Amino acid sequence: MLDISKLLDEIKSSPYREITVTAQHTGKIAFAEIETGARVRGPQGQWKEMPGTKLCTLERERNPKPVYAPENGEICRIHRELDGRFVEAGSPLVVLRHKLTRDEVQRIILQKTLYLFPAPERAKYYFTPEADKKIRASDARSVTVRNGMELFIMSRMKREVPLNYTGPDGVIYEVYFKYNKNLDVGAPLVGICPPEHLRAIQTLVMRVQTEWTET
Amino acid sequence: MDNNIEKYLQNLRDRLTYITDIFAGKHSDSAALLEEKLSAFSARARSGNCEDEYAELSTVEGLVAYVERRLEKTLTPMDCVRVVRHPQRICLRDILENVYDNFTEVGGQDEHSLDPGMLIARAIITRRRGKKTYMQSVMVIGQEKGHGAEYRNGGSVKPWGNAKALQYMSVAETEGIPIHAYVFTPGSYPVEDYPGAAQQIAKNIYNMAGLRVPVIAVISEGGSGGAEAIGLADRRLMLSHGYYSVISPEGAAAIEGRLRNGERATPELIERCAANLKMLAEDNLKFGYVDRIIQEPPLGARPWHFDFFRSLRQEVIRATDEVVISTRKMPILRGLALARHRNPENDVDSLHIRWGLSGAAKTRLVRRRQQKFLRLSRQAARDRRPFLTKTATAFFDWISKPWVVFKYDFYHKHQRRISTLMEEVSNEIDMLKYRLLTPWRKLSRRLPGRVDNKAKELTALSSWQEDSRSRRWNYISPRYKTDRTLTCPNSESYGCLDLWGPDLFAEFAGVCSHCGYHFPMEPEWYVNNVFDAGSVFEFNSEIEAGNPLDYPGFSALVAQAKKKTGAKSGCMTFEARIDNIKMVVVMLMGTFRGGSVGAAEGYKFVEAAARAAKKRYPLLAYVHGTAGIRIQEGTHGVIQMPRCTVAVRRYIEAGGLYMVLYDTNSFAGPVASFLGCSPYQFAVRSSNIGFAGPGVIKETTGMDIPPKYHRSYRALSRGHIQGIWDRRQIRANVKQALLTIGGRNLYYR
Amino acid sequence: MPAGDAARDSGSARHEIPEQEKSLSTAHSDNILRNHKILVANRGEIAMRIMRACGRLNIPFAAVYTAEDAASGHVLLARGEGGEKSLFRVSSYHDANELTAVADEAGCTAVHPGYGFFAEDFRFARRVAKRDRKMIFIGPSWKIIRELGDKINTKRLARSLDVPTVPGSDRPIYDEMEAERIAKTIFEFQGQQGISRPLVLVKASAGGGGMGIEEVYDPELFRSVYRRVRNYALRQFKDEGVLIEQRIMDFNHLEVQIVSDRTGMNPVHFGTRNCSIQSTGLQKRIEVAPGFAPDALEYSFDARKVLDDIVAYSLKMARTVGYDNVGTWEWIVTRKGDPYLMEVNTRIQVENGVSARIAKIRGQGGVDLIAEQIRTGLGEPLGYRQEDISFEGVSIEYRLIAEEPENNFTPWAGQIESFSWKDAPWLTMLTHVPDKLPYEIPTEFDPNLALAIVYGKDIQEAGERGAAFLNSLRLTGSDGTGANLKSNAAFLKDNTGRILYF
Repeated sequence: MLDISKLLDEIKSSPYREITVTAQHTGKIAFAEIETGARVRGPQGQWKEMPGTKLCTLERERNPKPVYAPENGEICRIHRELDGRFVEAGSPLVVLRHKLTRDEVQRIILQKTLYLFPAPERAKYYFTPEADKKIRASDARSVTVRNGMELFIMSRMKREVPLNYTGPDGVIYEVYFKYNKNLDVGAPLVGICPPEHLRAIQTLVMRVQTEWTET
Repeated sequence: MDNNIEKYLQNLRDRLTYITDIFAGKHSDSAALLEEKLSAFSARARSGNCEDEYAELSTVEGLVAYVERRLEKTLTPMDCVRVVRHPQRICLRDILENVYDNFTEVGGQDEHSLDPGMLIARAIITRRRGKKTYMQSVMVIGQEKGHGAEYRNGGSVKPWGNAKALQYMSVAETEGIPIHAYVFTPGSYPVEDYPGAAQQIAKNIYNMAGLRVPVIAVISEGGSGGAEAIGLADRRLMLSHGYYSVISPEGAAAIEGRLRNGERATPELIERCAANLKMLAEDNLKFGYVDRIIQEPPLGARPWHFDFFRSLRQEVIRATDEVVISTRKMPILRGLALARHRNPENDVDSLHIRWGLSGAAKTRLVRRRQQKFLRLSRQAARDRRPFLTKTATAFFDWISKPWVVFKYDFYHKHQRRISTLMEEVSNEIDMLKYRLLTPWRKLSRRLPGRVDNKAKELTALSSWQEDSRSRRWNYISPRYKTDRTLTCPNSESYGCLDLWGPDLFAEFAGVCSHCGYHFPMEPEWYVNNVFDAGSVFEFNSEIEAGNPLDYPGFSALVAQAKKKTGAKSGCMTFEARIDNIKMVVVMLMGTFRGGSVGAAEGYKFVEAAARAAKKRYPLLAYVHGTAGIRIQEGTHGVIQMPRCTVAVRRYIEAGGLYMVLYDTNSFAGPVASFLGCSPYQFAVRSSNIGFAGPGVIKETTGMDIPPKYHRSYRALSRGHIQGIWDRRQIRANVKQALLTIGGRNLYYR
Repeated sequence: MPAGDAARDSGSARHEIPEQEKSLSTAHSDNILRNHKILVANRGEIAMRIMRACGRLNIPFAAVYTAEDAASGHVLLARGEGGEKSLFRVSSYHDANELTAVADEAGCTAVHPGYGFFAEDFRFARRVAKRDRKMIFIGPSWKIIRELGDKINTKRLARSLDVPTVPGSDRPIYDEMEAERIAKTIFEFQGQQGISRPLVLVKASAGGGGMGIEEVYDPELFRSVYRRVRNYALRQFKDEGVLIEQRIMDFNHLEVQIVSDRTGMNPVHFGTRNCSIQSTGLQKRIEVAPGFAPDALEYSFDARKVLDDIVAYSLKMARTVGYDNVGTWEWIVTRKGDPYLMEVNTRIQVENGVSARIAKIRGQGGVDLIAEQIRTGLGEPLGYRQEDISFEGVSIEYRLIAEEPENNFTPWAGQIESFSWKDAPWLTMLTHVPDKLPYEIPTEFDPNLALAIVYGKDIQEAGERGAAFLNSLRLTGSDGTGANLKSNAAFLKDNTGRILYF
């Protein structure tokens, strides 16, 4: 196992991450009543069912869509010059400074301990329908994987190819890809925890939970 | 100070706290005065300065009793609510110990029970006539509040508690003993776990509508659905300080004040709502929803009011006797016996009436109970049908009955026999023909087939129609006219692109083309697109929703809803056809006051069920949406739960096929009664079905519920519904269901 | 002309519209075209061709691109040529909302969908035409797209006009008995034709993209296959309708280019094309105009008559529906010379360049079909008749694609490091690969690199020139793992010899 304390100290020395909130698509921007320096909240609730602080409204084809803060944090910059104007997709709107949460720290450390199955090519990835059904019904940890099992669908150049998992048997502990987002070659797809490591990983999670304080 | 005095003193202190509690700060001067007297007395008694402690004590007690009597007159509806919720209020255990002569709990013991909130016991009543003693068994079922014991959950019964109650109701039915149901509940516990709050209550009501033993209900705290779960009775008695309501006053205030999560209604608003809901014993007696009031001591019965228990015993025994007597066939004897019984001077303990019933009497009992409920609340709906129409309908009803009986009970039976015969004969002929023709067929097979131009044959054709598929829908939502896009609620998880309104509401029938999410559509959409064009024939449209409680400000809201929807109530009843299969449809429209059910809606439902039964049509309840019972109609609304369920039960027992289809959001009372009792419930995709919404669950149980808790597919996996249909295929699915479930005649038996 | 890399230098002007071409537009400029602005709702090579056509017609345009496509040639061209508000980054080419929003913002009055994406989406065409701020969809009217976009409907229409279609059902079959009857007839029909191994296709009518299609070779097995497909269709598409067709094994793929104006009254054709050289996935790789060369080559049937027939049939259908823009009627021609209509593509096609290359309009010289499409799409009358169109020579189009033909045409993605060829007057290169290399091939789209259109006075010369072009091609690159760029250049060269032979 690796030296968790050292890792934790490393993360503690720079516990912030900058998040740029960008326009998901084109449209007209109207900023909500937000100020630079103000604290904003990300999605709240047990299931993240309550949206975070509203940052602005993006209106396209008479369909105003609120843009919410994705995480807790502090507003560093608001692109006020865009207020009331038509923006292109991907234009930066607001920049947040976000202190890493326990879960994020946990994810960072877990990435170093779990077996990571890498993306063989730059492509979009999905779970096979069977695995996807299981994951949607409960969560990823309910899926046990075996070496050679057909687990993913790689979608690239409009073609969908099944992709077999190779590596140690275990449960899917973390999922690193998102729906309809491209992944680069070698980026981890899933983190697999072999059953014999499950206990060690749980203690690790416990340590992060106790040692990382959230504000 | 002697121990006895201390005990008395404690009792007086409890009575004082009780007064302070139930008046919630009002009449504080009286309380202060009593407080002062009490502490003065106790100080003197402690120091031994009293000459005659007992005499002084009785003076103080007299004063307390006087204050209680005086304050009794000032009780407001909300005070009554606090009375029934007070830990000192009598509870079912007290009743079992003091009203019955002996009992055995059969539904668990204390906290060791499937649901400690539901208490079930076999109890004995011993009566003496002359020297002879008679022991009579009853099944006692009721919610147990347990003087505030935490594990009793305040008498809020979980679905499995109601299931247990139902189980013992059928035990009582088997054993042929009466059921005494004691309603002590603020409402049911709104969880969806199997068997599900709403679905279980519906099952209970449905079964009680046909229970073949006398059922007596005593209502202390009658909180809507929870109360109905055990409250459908031949006689309903009500304690004078109880309440029987569609919703808690706090709940009504939250809706009235349009409060969001966490906000609290002001006490004044709650007080006002409590008064507006007309939920007290006298109100309900006046409306006819309870049969008798049992007078309680001033400020409500508490466990030491032994006189009260005696009169309660008299009343429940009398009520049971009356029910039994009323099933007797001979009207004169029945009248005499009833008159004797109703005389309050007579001590029912010294009379004896056998509580067992003959088979025929049981049938009469059930019929009387059903008719009793069907008759209720008619006056609360505004029937605007002209007198002539009404008379004509009634006359036609009377005239057509023999015809219907002839047609279905006589002709059809024999017709089937005839057609079976005909089938057999034609089979024989076919067989004969086949045998005769076999040699010829062998010969003809060898002849060369006519294969002149096969390609030409294949090009037998259909013409190119210019706009054939654009008329896929007979009705399209007017929202299609607005040039705007809409975001599918699932876009986050499924990546659905924004949908263009004119596409979505016309061609797509309100279904997201990517993930299949169903946006709500207008009721008209279903009326026009599910049934054969031009086949819809509405009836009873003149029965109007009104404001039977004169709930302040509500008349205007109803008028507004009527104007907005063009309908006179939230329920539209019509006859329609799908591919020439005729049916009666009851549609609850989510657009009319949230699809809430009041007296008019219930009236129309009952009428529709009767019509379907008479015409031998299947009955389809299409729930475009329902928010529950219309709270502004109070118990006029709540009574629709047992009432409509009785109508359904009569329809199904007559052989009918009753099917329910839920759309958008269907919650609370209707689902927990006449909808949830159907054995065939289906849902349209993306609909929500449940007992209480997330806000109410949070408020009553303190639980956060996950998003999509009430989604139809969850209801399906919980076993509440039988299937989920795509909106665009409702027509095909209804047809298939009718043909497969209903069989050849679309009608059972 | 300088060879090799020198071509790249001269090619630096590729992302501008040559002056002499601009002057061509004056011949067309008319009041109808004035005050229009076109949204180029596509990417890559076709977007560039549309922009150039706009340039020739003097119509301003706006273009869109996605983040992955920022280095594409069409973005550079739009940046260089478009004026104010002419280039927008959008989230996806597939999101119609992005396109309409950008069109409104840029003040566009018409949308050109190119091919792919929204080109044959009648809902998009309808939306563009029916929204509050109406625009012109440059393509046939939405009703025509809808009616002809439905293969079954097209087949029915064709049969009603006695246009031959593949033998089989022209509507979904729901009844097993009927299905068997049709299958039996098709088997018998093939027997009459002397086909040694008759085949019947059973496919789900609601399906598409090759899903739910099965072949039957034995009439005895038909029933079980039918049931399997029907059940699959019911589960998958909630519709148990099944189509039953003859499976034709040995055929040539021909098409007829139709052009018509908004009146829909007088469609003309721009000849035929032969697109028989395809990848295993039935995607075209080499297209040739004209469709057959009866003067130069031997066919086992009367090729001239086949060409005349399919042109006549196509025009007849176009006239009947009032076809009002450019479109292509796709045909299969069996070895016996029977043409069957397969489908109608209600859009401009990739290979329109070969037809334009061999055609001349009297008094105008060269033809640009995209310019014709825009011009007529915006409402200008055609201005010429069939007699004014003449054809000369043979033109071949090669689709140069980063893929592995030997490995089932698997697309390849990576970086292009060098890309050059020997320029010639008979060669037109259409590519969105920018001059400035390296260029990263985006993984979102097909890895098309270029279209090379060569011209020759006859099939021999065109073939020789095609081979010469392919020989001069220098294309290198590598992907993330260091593997070398894969392209189909060798496949194209190998197949040059097969062009127009049956």
